[in-house]
This record gives sequence, structure tokens and C-alpha cells, in this order.
Amino acid sequence: MLVLLFKNFIRSKGTKIGLLFLLIIGFISLLIGHQFQEKQQNNITEAAVYQKEHIARNAAFHKDEIGLLLYYIKFSLVNNTLPINSLAIGQRDVNPSIQNVTIRGLEGQKYDSELNNPSNLLSGNIDFSFVLLYLFPLLIIAFSYNIISEEKESGTWKIVAVQSPNTFFYILKLFYVRILSLTALLTLILLAAAVFLQIPLDQSFFVFYGLSILYILFWFAVCFFIVSLQKNSNFNAVILLTIWLFLIIILPAAINTYIINKYKVPEALELTLTQRNAYHEKWDMDKQETVDKFYKHYPQFKKYALPDTEFSWLWYYAMQQMGDDESAIQSKELESKLEQRNNASELIALFIPTLHTQIQLNEIAKSDLRNQLLFLKETTKFHEKLRLHFYPKIFENAPVNQQKWEDFKVETFKDNSETSFMKTILPLLLFNLLLIGFGWRNFKRKVII
Amino acid sequence: MKLLHTELLIARHFKNSVFKNPALYIITFFIGALLLFAAFSGWDNYKSQNETSEKYQHESREDWLKNPDKNPHRMAHYGNFAFRKSTSLSVFEFGMEPFFGNAIFLEAHKQNTANFSEAGFSNSMLRFGEISIAMVLQVLLPLLIFFIGFNAVAYERENGTLKILLSQGINWKQLLWGKILGVASVVMLLFIPTIIILVLIWLMLQDFSISADETIKMLLFILFHFIYLMFFCVVAVLVSASSKTSKKALVSLIGIWLILTIILPRTTQAIGAYLYEAPSKIQFTSNIEKDILKQGDSHNPNDLHYKAIKDSLLRVYKVDSVQKLPFNYSGFIMTEGERISSNIYNRHLEDLLKVYAQQNSFSKAVSFLNPYIAMKNLSMGLSNTDYDSYIDFQKQAEKYRYIMAQKMNALQVKYISNKKPGPNDKPLIIGKEHWADLEEFHYEPKSISKILKTEIVSIVSILLWVILLFVLIRIAAKNLKAI
Repeated sequence: MLVLLFKNFIRSKGTKIGLLFLLIIGFISLLIGHQFQEKQQNNITEAAVYQKEHIARNAAFHKDEIGLLLYYIKFSLVNNTLPINSLAIGQRDVNPSIQNVTIRGLEGQKYDSELNNPSNLLSGNIDFSFVLLYLFPLLIIAFSYNIISEEKESGTWKIVAVQSPNTFFYILKLFYVRILSLTALLTLILLAAAVFLQIPLDQSFFVFYGLSILYILFWFAVCFFIVSLQKNSNFNAVILLTIWLFLIIILPAAINTYIINKYKVPEALELTLTQRNAYHEKWDMDKQETVDKFYKHYPQFKKYALPDTEFSWLWYYAMQQMGDDESAIQSKELESKLEQRNNASELIALFIPTLHTQIQLNEIAKSDLRNQLLFLKETTKFHEKLRLHFYPKIFENAPVNQQKWEDFKVETFKDNSETSFMKTILPLLLFNLLLIGFGWRNFKRKVII
Repeated sequence: MKLLHTELLIARHFKNSVFKNPALYIITFFIGALLLFAAFSGWDNYKSQNETSEKYQHESREDWLKNPDKNPHRMAHYGNFAFRKSTSLSVFEFGMEPFFGNAIFLEAHKQNTANFSEAGFSNSMLRFGEISIAMVLQVLLPLLIFFIGFNAVAYERENGTLKILLSQGINWKQLLWGKILGVASVVMLLFIPTIIILVLIWLMLQDFSISADETIKMLLFILFHFIYLMFFCVVAVLVSASSKTSKKALVSLIGIWLILTIILPRTTQAIGAYLYEAPSKIQFTSNIEKDILKQGDSHNPNDLHYKAIKDSLLRVYKVDSVQKLPFNYSGFIMTEGERISSNIYNRHLEDLLKVYAQQNSFSKAVSFLNPYIAMKNLSMGLSNTDYDSYIDFQKQAEKYRYIMAQKMNALQVKYISNKKPGPNDKPLIIGKEHWADLEEFHYEPKSISKILKTEIVSIVSILLWVILLFVLIRIAAKNLKAI
């Protein structure tokens, strides 16, 4: 029976075209992911080469004045890109994965953006997560919207109903065949991805896979529920497409608008202006006052007294430091606003399977806002570490050529935050059970004629 | 009116039959609510964007002027900001706005990136799209039209009423036009109130004092959306007329909608981005740095290029050291350095923009196959939220930055003594009254003629589609069969 149903399903020209289309676009998404991965790799290599040359060249020019040298040289911190990131590029195309900073004021450098073609950002990537989120449901809908209703409309349903002992099982088998084909397709694409993109088969890959399967099942559950209402094919098609439209476009967009308007971030602009003024006004203020503030922040540097000259590097870096110190409030506020944004959207997403899946996939792939915020925090730490290392050297005017410049390699930030398995899986699981339960009840209540 | 009597009758009849369906009220109500939501959030967004941008633009200008007497080069590093402002039509069409950086810090020697885009501060939710009036008009209304129109002829065919209609002396042309008018009249019930609200909001935003430029943009915005929606009405009726069953009509129409609005826009842009790979920031900046070093490094005391300049200056002024020159030497060198580096930067930027243009060329070409892309590009152009507007903003900011840096250099050359102060001397300064010499940054959105020039492809594409549909209606009217 099952074999026959499967043959019947796969024999249709529409099915074959649909599956083939999805397979091809699935592989295209892997190609795009691969290109992204390569670009990231090249950038990291480039950054390492650049940093080495850049430091060497500047160290040769400014060999007498380490304070001046450190005015120029930049140090890079890389946000580690996991291979699985190619499957869910997320916000990694918007945000830079490499930060380049000098030890001067950080707030003016921290938010430097990546170079981008806004047209690409607007249309979005065709990564695997797009194929999964947008296109799989469409095919699921196309395969299932006319289950029973089509047979009823063509008048063959009565024959089926008389011939099979349990029509409900018959319907389940119809779904089973479809679920099987699409999970097989998904597995095929992900296996190809694992080989082609060299994704390690570790826990995060399996969570990614499990989540994808659950997401597909969610859409089958939606179709199952709608089919259980036993309306005609046209009604099913319209209502399923409307549900798709809601879950994929309207709700996410509405929630996004809500969150952006609720947590506005004027602090971002405020921050840059404050930072600029706080630093620059010090040029026209009493030097000792600035340096005293600096001592207050770093008591360990009190031993370096302000030289009796018009200009000194101690004073200069104290001024730069004040740019950061006096805009710290705005910086904190911005950070907490962004965290609120992220938390609020994750919370709301729990109730919207499509959003939840996208956010969770990005979280596994370390390409969401959370990762970006952690990277920014790590940039602050990285910058502070450099400052603490170089400040005493600058204040002592340590000889440039005695520094081990070759030790300053590009550093990498690895985001090890773990996502809770339950939080990832549970919402989708509940939705699935709920829809299947209601669908079941509908079938039991109403005789299928 | 006698002329179109039959068509109008069919149209009225179709409209009545559509309104018998209770689901339509729900959908209409819902889309109405969505439009209101879009209008409100668009307004809110626009106001807060422009208020913050104006506030900080003003604040940064005040800060600039408030600076005490100092060395002009300090001022060049103090710098200015360019904050992006939106135009009033962007209330209805957000376009690429969320991906635009909102502020550029403008300082000497350095071209900074445009920072603080909405997208950078959002999680992946933003990538699902946004709800704007334009999005409702361009994406949702076409689908609604298809949902209303798939039955138009196919249902009559299924029911057998089509034969009766045709045997009563109505010809196919009349039937098709009647049905098209019928679908259109339903859609107009949503479109016309939307446009009225749109115009009112738009007038209120500018306090009822409107410029000719803005008015033309608004009129074109309305006109082309009208044509665009009519296009979908015609497609719906044509597909319905040529399908055997209403189910087939519905499935084909949904397929068309998905391909036009969801799949093609993303795929074509992705193909462009895949084929023409753009350099990343680190490559871009390191290439610029390399080229500048080739030309001459003003920070390197032994650089050949600058040494040559120095020697020739000494020769012309017949002095033996730069300290004896009658003007400020380092100001002169910085002027030269700024000129060289900004030339090189602009050259690289042009190359980069060429790559971006190549990436976008696919979608542009596909707008001939896809009226959605054509409409989207045109409406983004009109509302100043398209790619070109953003590049235009960045170029205006860079131009201002260059003028600012060179003005400060000129002040230094002219007023700052050429004698280097000793370690304990007071720094050399000039009066603060000079700061006002530099005008405030003012961003001028593209004018309508420029927009029409860049969007000519979209306009031609939409017009071609209109012609094609007229032809198709003619062919269909001749060849369609009742069964």
C-alpha cells in the first residue's frame, strides 16, 4: 500500500519538478555559503598579513617615539567563523567579522561598519536557512493542500473510502510519504553541506539538523490541521498560503517594527558626539586636571608624572582615555538597549515558529545579534588589554626596537556560549503536538466523506 | 458611457459576487489595518529618524563653532558629522533605509565608514522584510488581486455559465475587460482610501508647503502603483480565462506571485553578488594604503615624492630650510597629502562602486521580466531610499570632508607661523571666528530628473509590460474557447 502511495506521489510531474527545484536551489545555497566562507577565510589571512606589514613599516618610520607609533598602528580581532555559519549567514554579512583598533579612544572605532552593497543586504542571502525557512514550506503546502479534497472533487474519494479499512490511516500514510520524501531531501542537502563545507558532525550540527526536521514537521502539522477541516482545495490553498505569508513576512516584519520603535537607539549618535567632545575639549583645558582624572582611572600609573612640556604622550593618551571614560554612560546604555532588543525578540519568537527557527539557527551558527554583542564586548576587553600593555611603555618612552612586535598577531574571539537544547526544540515540538492533536480531533469528530 | 455598457455590467456583477464572500471583508479589513499600521510606523520612524538626525547635526555644528581659538589642524581632527536625513516619501517606502549607515564622521586624512545602521543593531528578524505602505501595495495587494480574480472566468467555465454568457451576444473582449474592471473596482476600494491617507500624511509632514519636485515624485509614486496594480488585475483575469478549472488558475497565479515577489528578487541579486565578488573592507583599505605609499607617504620624512616637493619649494623661494619659507610648510604638505590620498581613495571607491553596479545589473536587467523589481526600484528611487541615493549621500559627505580638511589646511598655510614652537612654547593658534568660514553640511536629496534618469529602465519595463498585456488581451479575445 505504502509503496503504491509513494509511487503515485512521485509519479506526478509537479512533484518531480518541485523536488528537483528544491534540490537545485539547496545546492546553490551551499555554493553561496561556500563563497561566504572563503571570503571570511581570505579576510582573516589578509588581516594577518596586513597587520604584520603594517606594524613593521610603522615601527621602522617611528623608531624613536613609541607614543607616536601607537597612534598609528592597528591591531585586529577576528570573530571566529564556524563552518556551519555558511548554512545560516544571519547578520554576519551586515556586521564586520574583524575589528581593527588602535589604542586610542575605542568608542570612535568600535562601531565601524563593514563595506557593503545595500542592495545585497536588502534582498538577503540565499543561504540554506532561507531555503529551509521559505521554500520548504511552500513545497510542503503544494504537496499537501489537496490531500482528500482533490479526490473528493474528482469523485474518487468514495472509492478509496470504501476500499480502505481505516480512512484516517490512509490519510496518515499520505502524509507519511510526503514527510519521508522531504526529510530525505533535507538530509541529502545537509549531508552534502557537511562534506562540501567541511562542517564537523558535532553536537551543534545535530541540533541544527534536528531543528530543521522539526521545522519541516511543523509545516506538515499545519497542513494536517487544515486538511482536517475538510474544505475544498481552493480554500486550503488560499488559507495555507495566507498562513505562510503571515508567519514568513507579516508577523516577523510587524514584530521587528515594534521592537525597533520600542527600543530606539539615539544613544548611538549621542555616544559618538560625546566621545568626540570629551576628547577634544581636553586640548583646551588644564593638563594636570586631565591627567589627574586619568590617574583616578588607573592608579597604577600615578608614578608617571606629567612632564613640564607643552605636549606629552601621557597627556595625549589621558585625553583619549577621557573620550571613552566620559562617554561610558551612553556606551553602557547603548549596550543594554541592544541586549533588551535581542532578549525581547527572542522571547516573542518563542511563539512564532518561523522566527524562532531562524533565530535559533543563527544562534547555533553564531551569526545573530547576541554573537555580535559578545564580539563588541570582547573588542573592549582586547582594546583594554592592549592599552594596559602599552601605556607604561609609552610613558617610559621605551625603545621601539626592543618591543616584540612579532608577538602581536591577529587574535581570534571564539563565542562559546551554549544554547539551551530545550529552548531550541521545545516551542516547535509543542506547536507540532498541538496542531496534530487538533487535526486528529477534527478527523475523529467528522466522518470523512 | 453607452460604449462600455456591457463591460460595466459584467464588472458590477462580478463585484457583487465578490462581496457575497464573507472572507473578503475579513481580508479587506485586515489589509486596511495593516496599511494603517504601516502608515503609523512609517511616520513614527521617519519623524524619529529626522528629528535625531537634525538634532545631532545641529548639535555637532554648535560644538564645532563653540571651539575656542586653536590650531586649524586640531579642528580638522575635531571634524564634523554627516547625518543622513530621509525624504517625506520614505514614510511609505523604506527601501534599503534600514541598511544605510546613519552617520559618517568626517575628519582630516581619513574616510570613515557610514555607521549605525538599523540593521547593525537588529537581529535576524529584520531580514524577513518590513511592513511599509509600499510593501503592502507591491506585495500583498497583488496577492489579494489574485485571490479575488482567480475565479473570474474559470468559475463561470466550471459552472457552465460561461457558455450562456457567450451565447447571449457578449464577446470575449467585452467579457475580459468587464472582469478586469470588476477586479480593479474591488481593489480600488482599498487603493483609493490608501492614497487619500497617503497624500494627507504627506501634506502634513511638510506642513502643507510642498515643492514642485516633491509633488512630481508623489504623483509618479501614485501613478505607477496604480499601473502596477492594474497589471496584476489583467494577469489574474487572463490566467483565469485560460485555465480549465479555478483550481488550476489559483495554483498558477500563486506560482506567478511567488516567483515575481519572493523568489526572483532574491535570486537575481544573489547571482549578481556571487558572480561579481566585492572586496571586503580590509582588502579595500589595505589596497588604498598600498597605493598611497606608492605615491608618497607624507608621514615618512625620507619619502621621495615629498622630498622633491620640498626641494623645489626651497629652490623657488631661494631659502635653505623649510622654516624660512614665507608660509606654513607642514600645512602645505598636508594639503598635498590630502589631495593625493583622497584622489586615491576616490579611485578605489569608483572601482568598488563599479563592482556593486555589476552586482545590481542583474536585478536591473531582470526588471524587464519582473514588474515587481521594476516597481520596487522605481519607488525606492522616488523615495530616496535606493542604492543610488545612498551612494549619493556618501559622496556628498566625502566632498564636504575634503572641503573641510583643505579649508583647515589653507588656514594653517596662511595664518600659522612657519617656525616650530619649542617644547615649552605656547601652541600656535588662530581665532575661533574662522570656524564659521566652513559652511554646515547640508544633504541635498536627488532631484526628480536625476531619479528618472537612473530609473529609466524600470519605467520602460513597466510601460512595455502594459503594452504586452494589451496585446495579450487581444490575442486571448480571439483565441479563447468557452470549454
